[in-house]
Amino acid sequence: MMRILIADDDALSRTLLERTLRLAGYEVTVVDNGRSAVEQLCCQDGPRLALLDWVMPELDGPAVCREVRQKKEQPYVHMVLLTSKESKQDVVEGLESGADDYLVKPFDVAELKARLRTGLRILQLEDRLVEAREDMRFKATHDPLTGLFNRGVIVDLLAREVTRSHREGSCSVVLLADVDHFKAINDTRGHVVGDVVLKEIANRILGSVRSYDYVGRYGGEEFLVVLNNCDVSLSQSRAEQIRLAIASPPVQTPWDPIPVTMSLGVLATKDCGLLSVEEIIHEADAALYKAKAAGRNCVKFANPPCHQPSNPRNLTPASS
Amino acid sequence: MQVRQPSSEPAVNLDELLARVDNDRELLRDLVVIFKHDFPRQITALQRAIAESDLKTTERASHTLKGMFLSLSAPHAVAAAIRLEQLAGAQDIEALPIALKRLENEGALLLPELEVHLGKIE
Repeated sequence: MMRILIADDDALSRTLLERTLRLAGYEVTVVDNGRSAVEQLCCQDGPRLALLDWVMPELDGPAVCREVRQKKEQPYVHMVLLTSKESKQDVVEGLESGADDYLVKPFDVAELKARLRTGLRILQLEDRLVEAREDMRFKATHDPLTGLFNRGVIVDLLAREVTRSHREGSCSVVLLADVDHFKAINDTRGHVVGDVVLKEIANRILGSVRSYDYVGRYGGEEFLVVLNNCDVSLSQSRAEQIRLAIASPPVQTPWDPIPVTMSLGVLATKDCGLLSVEEIIHEADAALYKAKAAGRNCVKFANPPCHQPSNPRNLTPASS
Repeated sequence: MQVRQPSSEPAVNLDELLARVDNDRELLRDLVVIFKHDFPRQITALQRAIAESDLKTTERASHTLKGMFLSLSAPHAVAAAIRLEQLAGAQDIEALPIALKRLENEGALLLPELEVHLGKIE
């Protein structure tokens, strides 16, 4: 049921409109001044259709339109001025204030309903456009298989996070992770199973990080994780947590469970001065290579130009 | 000032009003109750505003009454409210008391007629 706001300081007019619109199937909210109208229309999930009288206490109808139009972040509100002011000058002023339509009192019921249906069509069109835009935005920023950020976005997010952590003197931890022997899974079980494995790995990584960390698919079976504002001393345990989440239990597929492990290269931004994003990824990749060389299913930390922390953080491979 | 008598033209355009309320007796009754309550209040506000030469309040209150009379399909009362609103807008302070008297008269004619109509609706 579509919600509509009626703002009118005349109780008789409010009652008439309210009854008419309820019978027409609207869920009606009624206020008797312009300030309350703005509050209703600008609140989250407020009505998106409004019938506004012109002359009202506190704020008149055109002022309501102007205030609502200034709130650009909210969904579009279709506003109709319904007033006994009927000169051309009034109509122009009302529409210029941001109203979508203008009706003169006394209203004709059929015309009022038809105009509101026009408003509904416009709102529905807007909803479809916003939905299409959001869909395109998601497709442009996310990996279609895993739903994670795609490579371009995760690298941008890393760049922003590196800049922020330098500015604030905090530390972010970068993990470059690669599924071990993934080619063998694809070759022996097929790409459909390989896709199932990648999706499950994405879910497990997401389940192992905080809601404000970033996870992206960097390449085929490579994932880039940015742990925002993460203390250096915790980087080892956080990386290990992700590794363990991947290693067990085996990934369930429609055919059979598949044991999967992952190697991770880790870098803490605080340890490596002012490296560029490309250099950070390069260093994380070198650490990942070390993890692969060390037998896989393990976490290795980046070497200089990122200097090693005092605590040993290179982990021996778990049994796999 | 010419004062319209109850026996002259009807104060309410009944066909138009019934179409507006969709022959809903309860709705019409509610509107009449609101009118009974709000009309004297607005008239009191107008009397005070005119006595104090408060043109802004006079214009606003007469505009509100105009809207009320439009909803009730009361053309003579609408005309009286428009006249008062225009005089206030034109700052014609001397003409306001007579225009107010006309408005009071039209409003007074309206109520009994509305109640008669209300009794006729099934």
